[in-house]
Order: sequence, then structure tokens, then C-alpha cells
Amino acid sequence: MPKLTINGTEVEVKEGATVIEAFKQMNEDIAHYCWHPGLSIAGVCRLCMIDVEGARGPQIACNTVAKEGMVVTNQSEQIKDIVKWGMDFHLINHPLDCPICDQAGECGLQEQYMKFGQYDPEMDQPKVKKRKVVDLGEKVVLDSERCILCSRCVRFTDEVSKTKELGIFNRGDRSEVGTFADKPLNNKYSLNTVDICPVGALTSKDFRFRQRVWYLKNDNTVCNGCSTGCNVKVYYNEEGLFRVTPEHNEEVNGYWMCDEGRDIYKFANKNQRLLKAKKYDGSNWQELTAGKAMQELHHSLFDDVKTNCSKVGVVFTGQYTNEEYADAMQTFKSLGVASFFEWNDTADKAGDFDDLLIRGDKNPNTKGLQDEAANHSGLKKLEDAINAVNSGQIDTIFVMAPENISVYPNYQSTYEALSKAKNFIWFGANKTDGFEKSNSQNTYLIPMKSYIEKTGTFSGAKAIQKFNYVTTIVAGALTLSEAMTLFQGKEIEFELRSKPMTSLKNNHFTLNRGKL
Amino acid sequence: MFKLSSEGEAFVQKELKRYETKRSAIIPCLYKVQEENDGWVSPEAVEYLSGLMDLPSAWINEVLKFYTMFNQKPIGKLHVQVCCNISCAMNGGRELANHLNKEFNIKDGEISADGNVTISRAECLGSCGTAPMMQVNDNYYEDLTPESAVKTIKGLM
Amino acid sequence: METKILSEHYDKPSFKTLKGYKELSGYEDLAKALKMDPKKIIEDVKAAGLRGRGGAGFPTGVKWGFLPDNGEPRYLLCNADEGEPGTFKDRLMMEAAPHQLIEGMIISAFAIGSKKSYIYIRGEYNSCIRSMTKALEEAYADGLLGKNIMGSGFDHDMDVYVGAGAYICGEETAMISSLEGLKGQPKLKPPFPAIEGYLKKPTIVNNVESLAAVKYIIRDGVEGYRKYGTEKSAGTKLFSVSGNVTKPGNYEIPLGMSMKELIMDIAGGMKPGRKLKAVIPGGSSTPILTAEEALKVNMDYESMAELGTFLGSGAVIVIDDSNCMVDLLGVLMHFYHHESCGQCTPCREGTGWLNKLVHSILKGEAKMKDLELINGISNHMMGKTICALSDAAAMPALSFLKKFRDEFEYYIKEGRSKVKGVSYAEVNH
Repeated sequence: MPKLTINGTEVEVKEGATVIEAFKQMNEDIAHYCWHPGLSIAGVCRLCMIDVEGARGPQIACNTVAKEGMVVTNQSEQIKDIVKWGMDFHLINHPLDCPICDQAGECGLQEQYMKFGQYDPEMDQPKVKKRKVVDLGEKVVLDSERCILCSRCVRFTDEVSKTKELGIFNRGDRSEVGTFADKPLNNKYSLNTVDICPVGALTSKDFRFRQRVWYLKNDNTVCNGCSTGCNVKVYYNEEGLFRVTPEHNEEVNGYWMCDEGRDIYKFANKNQRLLKAKKYDGSNWQELTAGKAMQELHHSLFDDVKTNCSKVGVVFTGQYTNEEYADAMQTFKSLGVASFFEWNDTADKAGDFDDLLIRGDKNPNTKGLQDEAANHSGLKKLEDAINAVNSGQIDTIFVMAPENISVYPNYQSTYEALSKAKNFIWFGANKTDGFEKSNSQNTYLIPMKSYIEKTGTFSGAKAIQKFNYVTTIVAGALTLSEAMTLFQGKEIEFELRSKPMTSLKNNHFTLNRGKL
Repeated sequence: MFKLSSEGEAFVQKELKRYETKRSAIIPCLYKVQEENDGWVSPEAVEYLSGLMDLPSAWINEVLKFYTMFNQKPIGKLHVQVCCNISCAMNGGRELANHLNKEFNIKDGEISADGNVTISRAECLGSCGTAPMMQVNDNYYEDLTPESAVKTIKGLM
Repeated sequence: METKILSEHYDKPSFKTLKGYKELSGYEDLAKALKMDPKKIIEDVKAAGLRGRGGAGFPTGVKWGFLPDNGEPRYLLCNADEGEPGTFKDRLMMEAAPHQLIEGMIISAFAIGSKKSYIYIRGEYNSCIRSMTKALEEAYADGLLGKNIMGSGFDHDMDVYVGAGAYICGEETAMISSLEGLKGQPKLKPPFPAIEGYLKKPTIVNNVESLAAVKYIIRDGVEGYRKYGTEKSAGTKLFSVSGNVTKPGNYEIPLGMSMKELIMDIAGGMKPGRKLKAVIPGGSSTPILTAEEALKVNMDYESMAELGTFLGSGAVIVIDDSNCMVDLLGVLMHFYHHESCGQCTPCREGTGWLNKLVHSILKGEAKMKDLELINGISNHMMGKTICALSDAAAMPALSFLKKFRDEFEYYIKEGRSKVKGVSYAEVNH
């Protein structure tokens, strides 16, 4: 474990660590673009310059291994001057189109310029012209003029996704990043290239022009797109969620996440959600609050469940938290209900894994569900539930439906099949536009909170991970635990969780986005 | 759609085994494609080579676009490259290139109307002691005058 | 006077063939070397003081000494990507004496324990590709390559690899990248090629002339080799003299000879009525010398260093008083801009910026402050990048400006060349 001195402070780093890693460990400022902890060392931006005592000249911190007794600084006048010029070299051919660039606010060039640049531009000659708005497939757009050729995206497709679509073509200041013949960059991890692009060269088609990043708050959570459980950051404001990016967790997902996981936020937003509880008596639908609906169910059904417990079934999906499973199973067990079923439309692919992040089981918590059920009488198959409903063996069914319905192709048909029960109670976060009718004359649809709106744990393939409440999107929605409490006739405490939010009232851009 | 001759395909297979890595065969195989494709490498040829060599097209494209001896657009039958680097520049290399532009009525990189000639300005070709010089396809012609250069090119047509 | 050691038989056409080469004692030094202890050969090459003839002048034996002594496979790579403007000696060597290079390479490979070598020849050198390919065939047919060479038990395979047009591939790690089938972009150092080179295996890259010279260290012994040259610049070297001299060409001279003798005597001196104005001593990347400096400097590594320049590849570019220095710098800046591989930002952007600035002077659009800008850009390109191409572009800019500043100032003020009296705007660089 070598000890070295950086800008006058001693720091101990692990054997083999580079000096730039030592800077990061200390939270000490060091300019850099090409270095990324999840990729090989390119050493091309030449900004992480340091003076090392005894060395012949300035070195790059990313390719210098920390050694015992090394004395390093990036605060000398020489280094400051090199970095200032390094910024200038990066910017002479950059279009400086920040006002229309989607990266503005989280751009490496802007940040480093404020820290290390701040000079008047000196090049009077015309800039090198390159291609703009290059369509790289379904998800990514390229602006070559903004690109600083750090090669992070190329290294990502070579080393991480191993799809090898990207290259840097031509040489010198004519170099341009791209795919051969502009073939689409449609690999399953393509949006990581947008995350690691330090400038606005690669932008996300989904996110671009939708929101200035400084109008968004962000918080960390765990992706619920599959059983991997990638650590993610979600960006949101009062209107809902706007994007998801990966957060580093070496044990689970490294620095990356898949493209599919980034779309998960969409079903959490209001336009996809069941906003109020609904009940159906065989002819009419009626809206009511979730709390009121659960109270009604307590009065009309709770005792019935207890007395007819053998005719009651509960269907679970792997999209709830361990805590919710525990509360729900405990509640039903106390009523004598023993028929628990597992509904998983991706069960036949559950063992699939692409050796990077994507797993075939598209539920974040199948393991948690199965583990909890093992404490009771286990889980039967969904078909058993449908058969039991058809045969009348079960006349009352509670369904803990999935929130990510895009991976549940049998969502609607399962709803239809199970609604043949006399009493049909459906808990779900998603809107139920397709559910025009129900076969049951006592149907309740109860709005559930999405993963963004609750605190809990998922037992993923790699680890049991806790995640925290981020924001509220559907005010009246419940967790399963809350729903169970109300079902038992008890009161629930509403936590007042409001976070200060940037006011959007006077923000013309935001109010008119999409129309511009 | 571009395809190598069976001889060309056999060459590719041989080169793929010749070096320690398959990737090393990209340069020789691009030369072969250029030879069989009238002197240039088209995007279709890159795609084809990518399939034949089982290497990503981006890798082949990177190599194609890095090295100046691969032509990325159609070219005249005679590719006349006039060295205009320092020793040649001091001995009339640039004037020679200008003269050839006029003589064949083409700018650099263009193909003459009869399809015979393309003129380009090259960096140092290692004939500094015999400047000015030009390379026509594979061969060097040295100690030139504008007149002798024109005569040489016309003699090759 | 010329001292022809390597080039003794270059004028004999038969020297190109195996038969003719053998008649002139060819491969006798290989036979001798194969009976030596490989470590002794390395020691001899060190003791002989052979320095890399490609440009950097790094001691060849010392470079070999960096190889790990672990029996791991290692590669020998001959740098025949001669591209430094003004240099044409390796071309002559490969055209006139392909077996001399092969012999030198087998001896070197034996010394460092390499079983595989490549000769990386620039793609434009068709005559060299042809002569080396033919010579390799002859050598294989004669058992000089392959298994159990000359009954020594030493196996070695040699192949030619043809480049495709990129100056940067003359940089040893760029050459390795190119040989690996990548773009010819230099690799980060450390690790150095002797530790991790071609395919991450230990690799030695040596210039054509350096490898050929090894043969003569074996032939003449350390003392015999050191008979020519100076203490720190031992032996003879080929110099490519070009530009405005009456007899341009390749000349082999002992290191340490005066540049005056090389230019004024051996290369025939200046053309009638012309005066020496400047000399670029070691290829276009080396800082330029004024006539006064050129006439007092000696052709060895130390004398050049004293004047802040380098012996480089041995390309002596002689410039007479008919040349406009702004124009010539424009030619060079165009070249480096064209050849920068584009990896490192200071070089990628700096070479383009310098080219634009010098051409804005040539077009009469520059301001006096642009001269300071050229200096600033150049200073911040030096020593800031993976390889030395950035320095190679900056050094001519800095030295031209320092030594011929009056021509630059005149051009900016008057909008025309001080020497030619006209603007170069119409000249296509």
C-alpha cells in the first residue's frame, strides 16, 4: 500500500493504483476527459498533467502508477499553464454552441473551462467543419464538431459491450468518431456511450431537448428492469421522471446499465399510471381513492376471507419489495389463506444472462418473492390459479400485478382469466385502459406505488439491495404493506415527504418544450 | 456488389493465417481489394471484406481511412503523385504538380476526362536526392522536368 | 572523404543477389555470430557504441538490454518505414543490399533470442518491397532462414510487412500498432516495447541502418568498428544530402566529420551564384541551423546537441539564399498537419493551428502577434503528447521563427516574401 503526497497531503492508495485514482480517492480536482475508471487507459486528452518530483517533465496522472514516497502536484504554475493551453487546444475547433447543446450543464468542457480555462479565444482562423446530427440508430445522435476525440465511446464498444461498432476514422484534426457507413449503434448498452461522452457529441434521442439538466433533481435507486438490480440515478422534477443513468457499484453493475433499463422510468410517470382506485359491479365503473377502496374491502371482504380461506388465492409477481411480500404473506397467512401463486411471464428465460448485465428474469425481486414464500407454503404456478378460478375452487383472488408491464405480454389475458373469480382484487401501478370490463361483479383495482415512490429491498441476482423513496408521482397510491394495513382495518400513517423543488412556473423553455 | 476473384479470396485466406493475429491481414487485404476494384476501396468492399475476414467493419474502416495509400473514391488509371515536401518543393515539385494540373486539365484528386489520370500532391516519398519526382502507380520517376514528366505519363497511357 | 563500410559494394548490381552477396563475403559474419554467446554480441554492440540510426540515436545495445531475461517469446521489428522528409538512405540500403539487412537482422535476432522478425517497409517503397521479398525467398531457399540456421540450432523466421502511407508509423509503437492491424497510432509508454510490444510481447524495433551495422561490429570487432567516428558517436553513418546542392545523394562518412566537408566537398557545394542560407541537419523535424552554425558543426550526436538540434535520421537538407523561410515552414507545417495521427489533443489541434497560422502569413492575413502565438502553441506541443510527432512539428516552427524572424516580420508587414518579393498566396501548399 504505497503512500504518496498529492498537493501537500499524504494519501495511501492500493497497490498498483494510478495517480489519477489517488486524486479521485482524495476528491482532489484534476482535469481529464479520456480517463474513465471503467475503461482502459488512452492517455490522449493530455489534461491530467502532474509534476512528479524527480521526473524529467510533466507526466499524465492516468498512466503514472503511484509509488511509495512519490511527491505529486498539479498546482504548480507550469501545470496550470499546460492545462489552460490543453483546454484551448480542446476548444479551438469546438463549435461553442452551448445554448443549443443538450449537454450544457453537465458538460466536461464547460466545467473544466470554468476551473482551468477562462481566457479569451485566440484562434482567428475558420474552424474545422465536421458532420452534425448524425443518426446513429434508435437511441443515439452524434455531433462530430462537438466531439473531442477522447475515445471513451470507442473503448466502451470495444471493451465493455464488445460490439465493436464504433471507430475513429481519418487522422489529425479531420478525425471523426462514428460507425462504419453510419450503421445504427443498436447494441443493448448503446446509451452508456452517451453517459460517458464528456461533451455533447453523443446525445440520447429519448432525452435530448426535453429538459435542461439544471431543472432536474436526481436521486439514487435500484433499477427494477431485471433481476440484476443495477444501481441507477433517476432525474426528475414536478412533472415526473426524465431519464435514468447508471451509478457505480462494482459488485453489481460496475459503471454501466442496459438501454432497456433506461426506459423503465416511463411506466412510473403519471401518464402510464393508475391514478385512482376503481371498482366494478358488473355494469359500471366507479372511481374512488385507494384508501377508501381498501376500507370498503375491509368491511365487505375481510371476514369473508377468514371464513372461506380455502377458496382464497393470492397471485404475486416479482416486482415488489421484500418488505411488502413479508407483510402481504403474513396478512393472508393470519387469515388462514395458504394458496400463493407466482406470475412471471419471463420465467422460461429466467436463467438467461448475457455475461454483462442483462438477465432473462425481468423481475427485480423474484428471489425475494420465492424466499419469502418458502417461509410459508411456497408458490404455485399461475396456471394453477387460473384453473382454480375456472373450476370455482377459488372464488376470491388478490393479484399483486407487475408495474413494468412491458415484460408481461400476458398482462391483459391474465387479468381477464383471473377476473372470472367472484371477488377480484387487483393491485397495480399501471393504468388499466385496456381493462374495459371485468368478468367479476366485485372488482377492485387498487393503485400501487412504483419503485420510485417507496423504500425497500430487492433480492437481486448479485445482492440484496436497499433503495429509498425518491419522489411522489401518484399521490394516492399505496405500497402493498399500506394496502394490507388498511385491509386489516387499521390506520396508516402518511409520511409528509416533500422535497424542495425548483419552481418551473416561470420557465418558458420547460413549459413549451416540444413546441420549440 | 463487390466481390474478390477466387484468387483474391484465396489471398485473403492465406493472409489471415500469415500473421500472429487476423487483424494484421487488414492492410494486405485492403490492397488486394483496391487492386481488383479499379484502384479504390468502396464502402461495399469494406462491408464485403468485413464478412470475408470476420472482423468488425469499423476496424477495417479505421485502417482504410488512416492510411493515404488507400483511395476512398474512384481514381484514374494512372495515379500520379507528385512529392511536394521540402526537398522537392525547393527543386520545383510544386511547380511540377501545377504544370501537370494544367496539362491534364484536372485539379488534385480529379480524374481526367479520358479516365486516364489522377494527380495528387504527396508528402515525402524518399526521393529527396533526385527531386523533383513523381510516383505513377507503383513506380518512381525521378529528376524530372515538367516536360519529361508529361512525356513519361503520356508514354504510360 | 567518404568512408564506405556499409556501402562498400552498393554500386555493384550483383550485391543484390544472394550469389553475388556471398561472393563478397556475405553471411560469413552470420556464421561467425552464430558461434558466439548471444550475450557477448549484445555486450559488443553496446561497447561498439552503435546508436540508433533512425532518428532518436538511442544506443542499440542498451535498448536490447531492456528485454526481460525470462525466455518469453520476443519479436524483432525492422523499421523500414523511412518517412522523415529528406531521408532516403534506407531505400538505397534495401535496394542495393537486401541481404546485408537480412544478415544483420539474423545476427541481431540471435543476440536477443528472437524467433520471429518483421521488416516493416513503407508502402510507397515498391522497389524495396520487391528486393526484400526476393532476398527473403533466396535466404529461405538457402537455409539461412527457418529451422536450424547454418547448423547452429537457431531457428528464425522473417517476413515483410508493407505499410500503407503514414509518416507516424516510423514511430516504433505506431509501427507496432500498424503491424497489429490497427491504425498506426503510437502506444502509451510505459510500458516500453522491450517489455510489452507487438501483441504485448517483448519487442525490439531497430532502424534498417542500425541492424545492418551490427554485421560490421561482428566483422570488425568493437575496436575495428570504433576506428571511425568519435568517442560518443562511433562508426560511420549514411547521410542523405538533398536540397540546393550540386551533388545530392547518400554519402557514408565517419561520424564527427564537419558538415562543411559533407556539404561543400562531398555533396559538391552550392549551385553557381548561390549562397548557403540554412541547413536542416537531421530530417525535417530537427531544428534548423543558420549557415554560420552549419559551417562550424560536426556530424555527430554531441556537436548537434550543443547547437540545440539533432543528427536525426541523417537527412541533411541544404537551403540556399533563393528560398523564402516562411514558404518552407508552410511546407513543413502542412506536412505535420497531414501526418498527425489525431490521438493526442495538443498535437491534433496544434498541428492544424500552426498550419493555419503560417498559411495566414503566406496569404498576407496575419498579425504580428501571431508570431507569439506560434511560439506559444509550439511550446505547449513540446513534450506533452504520447509520441514525438508533436515535438517534431513544433521544433521547426520554433527554430525557423527564432533564426529567421526578420523574414516572418517582413512578410506580415509587407504582405509579401522578403526573398521572392511576391506573395505566396497562389502557391498551393
